[in-house]
Amino acid sequence: MTRAVVFAPLDAVGRADRVEQRIGDAIVLGVLRDGEKLPSEAELARRLGVAVVTAREALEALRERGLVQTRRGREGGSFVTFDPAASDRVVDERLAAISRIDIRDLAAHYTAIAGTAAEFAADRATEDDVASLRALAASIDPNSAGSARRGHGRFRLDVAALSQSARLVHEELRLQAEFGPLLWMCLRDTDYRERSRVVRDETIDAIEALDPQRARRITAAWIGEAIAWLIDEKTRRERTNT
Amino acid sequence: MSTSTTLDTDAAAARIAETVDGLFALIGTWRDEVAAHVADRVTPLAEGLDAVVERFATGVLADPDSLMTGAGFVAAPGLLADAPWHLAWWLGDANTFGLEGREPAIRRLEAVVDPEAESFRDYTTLEWWRVPSATGRRHLTGPYVDYLCTDAYTVTITVPVHVDGEMIGVVGADVYVSELESALLPVIDATGLVCTVVNARGRVVASTDAQRAVGTVLRLEGLRDVLDGIGGTRELGGVGRVHACGDTTLALVVEG
Repeated sequence: MTRAVVFAPLDAVGRADRVEQRIGDAIVLGVLRDGEKLPSEAELARRLGVAVVTAREALEALRERGLVQTRRGREGGSFVTFDPAASDRVVDERLAAISRIDIRDLAAHYTAIAGTAAEFAADRATEDDVASLRALAASIDPNSAGSARRGHGRFRLDVAALSQSARLVHEELRLQAEFGPLLWMCLRDTDYRERSRVVRDETIDAIEALDPQRARRITAAWIGEAIAWLIDEKTRRERTNT
Repeated sequence: MSTSTTLDTDAAAARIAETVDGLFALIGTWRDEVAAHVADRVTPLAEGLDAVVERFATGVLADPDSLMTGAGFVAAPGLLADAPWHLAWWLGDANTFGLEGREPAIRRLEAVVDPEAESFRDYTTLEWWRVPSATGRRHLTGPYVDYLCTDAYTVTITVPVHVDGEMIGVVGADVYVSELESALLPVIDATGLVCTVVNARGRVVASTDAQRAVGTVLRLEGLRDVLDGIGGTRELGGVGRVHACGDTTLALVVEG
């Protein structure tokens, strides 16, 4: 952190991000649903207690992430978008735009969060917690890429919740909201969906065995695989395009 | 071990029970209100029931002395003709979800109750529903990170509501773990002993021992068995003893 950052006006910088984060989280979690109309800029600003320009900035960022679509006219407004085709396209564009350095940096960050969450979960989970994780894992439909991705996201979130750390849960949520579809892009591939199922089972086994190091190792290795797939895919696409 | 110490920890367990019983007792009055409302109607509807719940929930959330940060009623699926899945739950102004500075307010939780929706959660599978439903008795869930509702580290207390022998839902309240810990610590600290308050699964709610972090599971030999259906005081094989905190499902573990 430089001195300039320390003394940057906090409100102006932070607020749009926080509004974006909150609504983005809600969309990814499904609290706000596909097609749902969001409050107007003015209403959003009023309800969140921010300036209208801040709300506008946040909506703009959500649009860029493909989570919100704005239509003009009488029936216009900002709508939550979460349709699979559009979201696949957004992910494709993001993969093309993101650098390998940033992908590896994301891997480092996500491994720190998810790995630590799994480690703590394997210390703090009770038999009941393990039973609910198993029920959740069993409910994921491996035949659908969408179900696999959402289910996997929820699985990671529930593991994070077992860490008993609200901060880790928030960070898991934030990272999923920001990078979830990119992180788990490999789940478009049937083999990786099967692989994710095995990883979930192994993670639950490690949590049940109260083996924090194993839980962390499995989680970190799986994120490594997903990221390696992503970088390979990026390379493959770049070759095809040139 | 001196008699006076035993009395002290007994008294501490009773004080803990009293604190939590106060919450349960209040929730018990809500149970009666909801049961009476539903019993009086051939076809109970969400609208009428919500008005009843809103009154008691917003009432307690407005009380600055209350430990509660969320309160309400969750209906059994199919109870209400106009709302097959229904949560009537209010959040207190200490809850910052959706607030950025201005006017914290008591407001209703907007839950996803459309079973077709992607993020729909069948709440009958969650512990705060599942356990009271199975046992027919009050239950304390947590500490847990409630990312669906309070967005914080929470304890949820639920009491089943019955009409004509059938469970029609649960009434309950959320309490921030930090608030509960602050309320319980002085009590156990006054014993001068190594004391830890745990839930029915052995998860730490408060402890005088800094090594016993809130949220971790106290894994002492034999504790699980002792906690199952605990009442009164039980010895814990040379390690210490365990006091039931009344009928709250909490227990006080005294080590040494």
